[in-house]
Order: sequence, then C-alpha cells, then structure tokens
Amino acid sequence: MYGYYKPPFSIEQEGISISVENNGEHWIYRRALGTDKVEKIILADGKRLIINPVEPLNTPKEITPYLLIEFEKTLLLAGGAKRRIFLTFPIEIGVFISDRGDRNIQLLDVMTLARQKFTLYGEVSNGILCKHWKSKVYSISPSPDSLQEGVMELTLRNTSSDWASISMAVFSAYGMKLYYGSDGDAFMRARMDILNRNTAETSFELQHISGELKSSPLRDFKARKEAFGVYSLQKLGFVPPKFYMGWGY
Amino acid sequence: MITDFDFLDIRLPISNGNVTLGSVLKFILILSFSILIAKVLSLYLRRSLKDRVSKDVCETIVKIFYYGTITIVFLSNLSLIGISPSALLVAGGVTGIILGFASQNIVGNLISGFFLMVERPIKIGDQVEISGISGFVTDIRIISTIIRTYDGLLVRLPNQQVFTTNITNIVGHPVRRFEYTIRIRYSDDADAAIFLIKDLIDKEPFALLNPSPSVFVSDLGDSWVNLTVRIWAPVSEWFGIKTRVLWNIKKTLEENGIEIPLPQRIVRIQSDPKKVPEELTLPVSPEKEIESVINYEERVFA
Repeated sequence: MYGYYKPPFSIEQEGISISVENNGEHWIYRRALGTDKVEKIILADGKRLIINPVEPLNTPKEITPYLLIEFEKTLLLAGGAKRRIFLTFPIEIGVFISDRGDRNIQLLDVMTLARQKFTLYGEVSNGILCKHWKSKVYSISPSPDSLQEGVMELTLRNTSSDWASISMAVFSAYGMKLYYGSDGDAFMRARMDILNRNTAETSFELQHISGELKSSPLRDFKARKEAFGVYSLQKLGFVPPKFYMGWGY
Repeated sequence: MITDFDFLDIRLPISNGNVTLGSVLKFILILSFSILIAKVLSLYLRRSLKDRVSKDVCETIVKIFYYGTITIVFLSNLSLIGISPSALLVAGGVTGIILGFASQNIVGNLISGFFLMVERPIKIGDQVEISGISGFVTDIRIISTIIRTYDGLLVRLPNQQVFTTNITNIVGHPVRRFEYTIRIRYSDDADAAIFLIKDLIDKEPFALLNPSPSVFVSDLGDSWVNLTVRIWAPVSEWFGIKTRVLWNIKKTLEENGIEIPLPQRIVRIQSDPKKVPEELTLPVSPEKEIESVINYEERVFA
C-alpha cells in the first residue's frame, strides 16, 4: 500500500480503500475503513499522493506526542551492559498530497487498523498522557502484519552500576523517524539510556538501518524509504526530540 | 521675528524653567509613537510565537514585551517633562502612599494580576470555576480576568477577587476521574455485569489504562444492586467519554439480559388456614339507618 500514487487511482487492502477520482474540474479523495469514511475535494492538478506509515499518535485524536510501549515481560539489564532488542509499535497510515519532488507536502488523512488506547505516565497531578502499546520483546526482528504493526530496534544501555528492571519505554513523536520497505514493513530505530534507578532517556537514531536484520523482510535496506511524518511537518518550536523518563521505567 | 512655532518655547510655570510646551508635546508624541510601535511589534510577536508556544505563555510574553517597552520609553523620557527618574524614586515613596490610599482597589487588582501571572493557578484557555462562575479563561489582564461561561457570556472578574477566592481549575491536571452508579436487579449476575462493563471500558481508547478503571459492587439496596464504575480520562476528553460510555453500558447490559430495575416492594400476605372466614357486616346503628332512609326519600322523591 505504501508508496507514491498519481491520480486517478484506487487501492484496497485489509479493509482500507483509498481512491482519487476526477470529477470534472476537481479531484475527489475518498477513504473508507469500516464505518469510518472520509471524502475531500482537491482543487489542484498535477499533484501526487504519498501513502506511508506515520507516527502512531494521530488517531483517534491527536492529544499527546508521546508513545508508551509496555513490555509484555520485564527485562533485567546488568549495570554497564548494552543490549539490543526488538519491539513492535502500532502503525498509523498517513496520506499526503505533494507537488513533484516532494515539495509543499500537506497531510490529507490518517487512519489505523491497530488498537488504540491511552495511559498516563507518572503522577495524576503532573504526569504525561501517552498513547499506549503493549509489545512482546524479541531478540531478532519479528515479522508482524505490516499494516498494523511496525518493528522497533531498541538499544538499551545501562549507564549505572546497578541492575535495571525495565518494563516500559516512552518516546517523543518529535524525534521519531520511520522507514518503510518495498513490501510495506515499517521500521524505527531507537535507544534507551538508563541513567539511574528511576530515570532513563529515550531518543531515535536517524541513521539508516544497517544490514543486521537478517530475519527481517527489511534486509534489502537499499529499497527502504524514509517516511514523511506528521510531526516532522509541524513547526517544532522548543520541543526536544529526546524524552526524559523521570517516573521510572 | 515671531514664527508660528514660537509658542512651543513657552516655559511652563509648573517646572523649574527647563520644561517647555514643546518638550511636553514631544514627550506625548514619543509615548504615543512608542505605544503604537509596541502594539505593532506585539502583533508580530504574537503571530510568530503562535505555533511555537502555548497560548497562555505567548500572551504572557507579549504582555511583558508590550508593557515593558512602554515603561522603558516612559521612564527614559521623563526628563522632557522635568522629572528626573532618580527624583521619581525619592518621590515614589510619598506618591506611592498617596496613590495607595486613593486607588486601593486598582492597585490591589494590579498586584493580584501580577501574582496571578507569576503563580499561574489559571492559564488562558483553562476551564475554571471562580466565585461560582464556571467557564473558559479567555484573558488574564493587568487588573481583571475575563471568563467566557459555558453559555457564551463574558464575565469580567477583578484580579483581586480571583486571587483571594477559591479557584477550581478543571483542567489543572492532565487526567481526571468520573463515576457512574449502575443499578442491576438482584436476579442478575453482578459478575457478568462487571465483566461486560470492563470489556466496554477496555474498548474505549480514551478510558485510561493507568490509573486503571474500577468496577465493583458498592451497595446492596432495597430493590437493586449498585455497581460503581470509576474511569480516568484525559481532561480534554472526559465529558465526551462520560456521556458515550454511560449509554453504551446501558445498551450492552440490556443486550445481555441485565436490566436496570424499577423501584419495587414485595408485599407478603400471610393467611391462617385454621381461621374460618366470616362474612363482613358493617355495624350500623338503627338511628343512623333510619336517618339514611329518610334522607334517601328526601333526595329521591322531593
């Protein structure tokens, strides 16, 4: 489903149908997912549509830029150790409209097939609202349903000398960088530095994926594309791309 | 030769001789021009900060810039009207006392406004309840706070009143809890009802996982079993969820044969099998019987 489309076109996959039709002097964008239907009129010619995975923080409503991934099993990391694990994250599909050469990109629509749930990280009085996702912990890259889940490579680094018991990680959407392969798999690479008993820092790595994903369909990393993000289109202001986990992990 | 502008050099009797009508006009012009410039720059500042910071922070920065500019221009040009800023400081004590007595309320509101901006118990856009008035804070000005009630009315509250009264900030925390009491019949399975309600909450995206929701039997009433449902939700979404989930609970319970009971009272009539029923006759006195008959004739045959 992911890729560039020149109107008119029509695609249908896993219950999602997207089409752009010419209606005389304008174009009509239609999207249906179950009972949820979107119809927009495009008053422009010579544009193209880009469909790619986006940060999973836009549906059903953009109320927080933070994603909390809860691990199905708690991890114990020795002091000073560094390990790499794989997690899954929910996928949201973004539809953008742009000029040729990816100029003047505008978000048209966002949809998702993944479960949506929110949670609070921290205290009721000053905690942070997060989109919630529960993931199994994998030692090698899994192959989930590409329209529902993506793969996150997470490098855990315990900078303290104590054991760290890790059951969750919180990420800021402002630093997220998603990539997708030719067969639709979405991928992110992040790191989590354990600072002490209660605090950690998470961030995303922007460099391209190396050929380490032996079991992943993404091993053909040359075919991988960088996805346009909803948050990267916004003006960032003073929001830092890293997230400081001050209420435990 | 006397020109048309010579009147500007007229020395004013209120000064020590250095202040002319021209310098006073110059002071007024500079102040007016600086107010104009500050307004234009505030407009640009507000526009550039709009997408970068929250509305209340933006408004605070703009106000500090606006009033700061005017104050600096005012103080730096006081010499034009024969007032030295250092002399103003000396005179400030006496003037302050006089002004304080003369304008207690205004100064009180001004200082309260300053503390409201520093302490920030409320921000622009917050939903609050102050002195029995509920609504959205639309502006926090130097001496007053503007609230738009839920009915769309504009209410201006003096800052002194806002600062000294109890303030309930409905959106002060990121999440809040709401509660329902659901009644089911004694004949219904309370465990099944709890399971159905929990399942419904789990499907609602904005019903938070943490703090976790709770559903439990809270009371055994005269005619029903009370279930209490407590859900935490983001402050921006709680009202929508509250109305949506309640109706969904009602529909789901009814679909599964669990009904919300009507008030009922069980009346038990106990009978004694050994007792022989007797015919009931009213004990009527003869005088009353005659009277009733007489009355009957009067009514019918009269």
